Amino acid sequence: MTSRPFRLAALAPIALVAAAHVGSPDTFFEGAAGPYTVRVIVRSPGVVPGLAQITVRVLAPKSVRRVLVLPVYWDPRTAAPPPPDIAARVPGDSTLYGAALWLMTGGSYSVQVTVEGDAGTGTALVPVMAVATRRLALQRSLGAGLLAFGVFLCVGAVALIGAAVRESGLEPGADPDRRRTWRARVAMGVSAAVIAAVLLGGRAWWNAVDAAYRSGLYQPPHATATVRAEGGGHVLRLAIDDTSWTNPRRQWTPLVLDHGHLMHLFLVRDSTLGAFAHLHPLPLDSTTFDAALPPLAAGRYRVYADIVHESGFAQTLVATVDLGTPAGTWRPSDPDDAWTGNGKGERGNVADLADGSTMIWDRSAAPIVVDQEAPLHFVVTDPRGRPATLEPYMGMAGHAMLTRTDGAVFAHLHPAGSVSLAALETFQLRQPGDTIRGALAKRLTTMPMGSGERGAVRSGEVTFPYAFPQPGPYRIWVQVKRNGRILTGVFDANVGPAR
Amino acid sequence: MPWYVAAAVIAATSAKVGIIWDISWHRSIGRDTFWTPAHMAIYLGGVLAGTACGWLALRTTFSGVGAERDAGVRFWGFRAPLGAWVCIWGALAMITSAPFDNWWHNAYGLDVKVLSPPHVILALGLWAIQLGALFLVLSVQNRARDALRLYGVLAAYMIAILLQNVATIGIEQIGFANLAHNGLYYVVAAGAVPLLLVAAGRGVRLRWPATTAAALYMAFSLVMIWVLQLFPATPKLAPVFNPVTHMVPPPFPLLLVPAGVAIDLVMHHVGAGRDWRLAALLGVAFFGVFFVTQWFFAEFLLTPLARNFFFGVDQWDYSSRVGPWRYRFWRSDVNPVTPRSLLVAALLAVVSARLGLWWGNWMARLRR
Repeated sequence: MTSRPFRLAALAPIALVAAAHVGSPDTFFEGAAGPYTVRVIVRSPGVVPGLAQITVRVLAPKSVRRVLVLPVYWDPRTAAPPPPDIAARVPGDSTLYGAALWLMTGGSYSVQVTVEGDAGTGTALVPVMAVATRRLALQRSLGAGLLAFGVFLCVGAVALIGAAVRESGLEPGADPDRRRTWRARVAMGVSAAVIAAVLLGGRAWWNAVDAAYRSGLYQPPHATATVRAEGGGHVLRLAIDDTSWTNPRRQWTPLVLDHGHLMHLFLVRDSTLGAFAHLHPLPLDSTTFDAALPPLAAGRYRVYADIVHESGFAQTLVATVDLGTPAGTWRPSDPDDAWTGNGKGERGNVADLADGSTMIWDRSAAPIVVDQEAPLHFVVTDPRGRPATLEPYMGMAGHAMLTRTDGAVFAHLHPAGSVSLAALETFQLRQPGDTIRGALAKRLTTMPMGSGERGAVRSGEVTFPYAFPQPGPYRIWVQVKRNGRILTGVFDANVGPAR
Repeated sequence: MPWYVAAAVIAATSAKVGIIWDISWHRSIGRDTFWTPAHMAIYLGGVLAGTACGWLALRTTFSGVGAERDAGVRFWGFRAPLGAWVCIWGALAMITSAPFDNWWHNAYGLDVKVLSPPHVILALGLWAIQLGALFLVLSVQNRARDALRLYGVLAAYMIAILLQNVATIGIEQIGFANLAHNGLYYVVAAGAVPLLLVAAGRGVRLRWPATTAAALYMAFSLVMIWVLQLFPATPKLAPVFNPVTHMVPPPFPLLLVPAGVAIDLVMHHVGAGRDWRLAALLGVAFFGVFFVTQWFFAEFLLTPLARNFFFGVDQWDYSSRVGPWRYRFWRSDVNPVTPRSLLVAALLAVVSARLGLWWGNWMARLRR
């Protein structure tokens, strides 16, 4: 796994409008800024250029003098950042700081969060994707108001021109004669025609801007998933068959390893959500990835594939695949591959795990509300009810995948949040001289894996900072590793609308 | 001087100062909010013009004495001077543009392009306020029996504000001295400037109206250049390739005074009633003088002698990668001055002068 990935030159966005996850544009991060632990949330503006709102919560309170934030574009040739902004303390909350981030270019940013206080100064990097993800509709009331003003202005302009021609040149007190009145009417007719033409031109202009904007909205590169029989088992192939993927003018940067894998692929059984797999396909070339398919039940599956580029840009490819009768044998193509056919092993907030241990969703009875921090805190206990010791699973204490039932949302979380750790590493390692494609990716490969957990988690606890982006029913798969075995707990959640 | 004329002139000035300040803000600091002083100056112009003229219209309509009502034009049953109605229209256009612009930013991104439909509506509103102020000054000038000089200077000043608009809109074609060896530079200048200077020559009651308007245009720019450089500024938007420390001033104005003198001299010698011939003479005179003076003056502006506080030509945007290009002529190889471009520019100057005479004649007749 050292040189092969780097034959994958010419990948990764620059005309980039892209984002990791599906329907979940905000960024969540929890980690260390030197001696301080911070939880950072970056709310995406949905447009580029746009203003993202960042909040920084300093956990485990220490004396903090100020919090600074600075978004830095990934490309060292164009980064040249201004001085950082001071995040203002949010009134009524002594540990929360907020600021606006100006994201002017589409693509990959790292937000430098610097905390200054009595314990010294520490900085955390938070990868953020700046992408256009939505088109704002013109509210009916605003549209009606603008229309009323517009009509008034147009009619008023015609009337003004009439008054100017009819009366403005007359001595005070004199009345316009028939000739002036007639000329005024002609002028009004001509001006009305001109204004109508200008309005038509304006409409065409607006439509052109709108069409250009829509064409620039983020769409992940198109991918197609297929299954074939091979050696007594089945192999899933994901082919990135988007013309932009191999177009050299798009200047994609190479893919980098995330938790030791170029691609994290998730299969979710459509409609029932009754089966789930987390696989790590191996690249055949720059567009084709193969993984041995576990014996999932037949049916239609949603396919989500997470990839990270050298620019730090993370995105999720989306496809569907129809699976037939499962094959009898499954030899995982990667030891970190795992699956579950457990439709719903949950009893309330308790899930039975395959090795006899138990995963408990530690949450209160309070409802989960959209856009508010969700209590994604889980405790694993061994069969005797004691806290289980969790081993790092791909460098992390746990992985959580969640989807809204209809597939409108899919997110892959870690205790460090929704950020890609590979993206984080690219920003930590990036140097001003990294202007040659592949150089940074090469350094990444030679370093020991992961910025995540390196030791075992003896408390059996794992927490994922997140806020659900849309209301509705969700399913959550939480994966941990115990005694060398990957265990998956399945939970359901109902997320209410913002109050 | 009537209070509403003063209010309209101050409003037009505030809006123009705000525009130049705002451009400097975007070249020096980069990011802004609705509440920057530059934006406040712009909207102060709209609010002042709108409220002053709105009050004038209400007062004239409902409690105006005979002379006041007689000096107004009818508009949907109300009475006020034409300029007041134009100012009110401009203020309403500015009000319309504000929520539209806010929605536009949220929908399509922050100022992806300066030229957008809401910005065009804002610009139309600003132009209306400036034109309205000019009309108010002219109507008073044309009815006045004394203080003619004051009204003449004010009218010339309003023409200078409109010349500033030309400089703002044409900043990419005629803004920088580095462009002054391009064919397009003279075509654009010849098309736009004679219209205003000649209209001033015909409509403004001064001995040297075009010269005065040109001088006031240059003075306005110089004041902005000198004042803006005094304010500290720090770039706040990446990429920052040029760490400026103070507000970046606008480019040095076009050297219009000699061309203004030429226009005034021609108009002194050719009386009214022969406007087609006069337009030809004015166009050729303007263009000849402007081309020669601007060509060499631009060369001076690129020398080390101009790299100082007075001329301000050595200060560039924070996002510029500064280099030798600052003191070179740009694109003169791909868009050179040719006999054909000079001919086109001269013809445009004649057309522009003819339009200026038409407009100036209307301005000279404006009574209400």
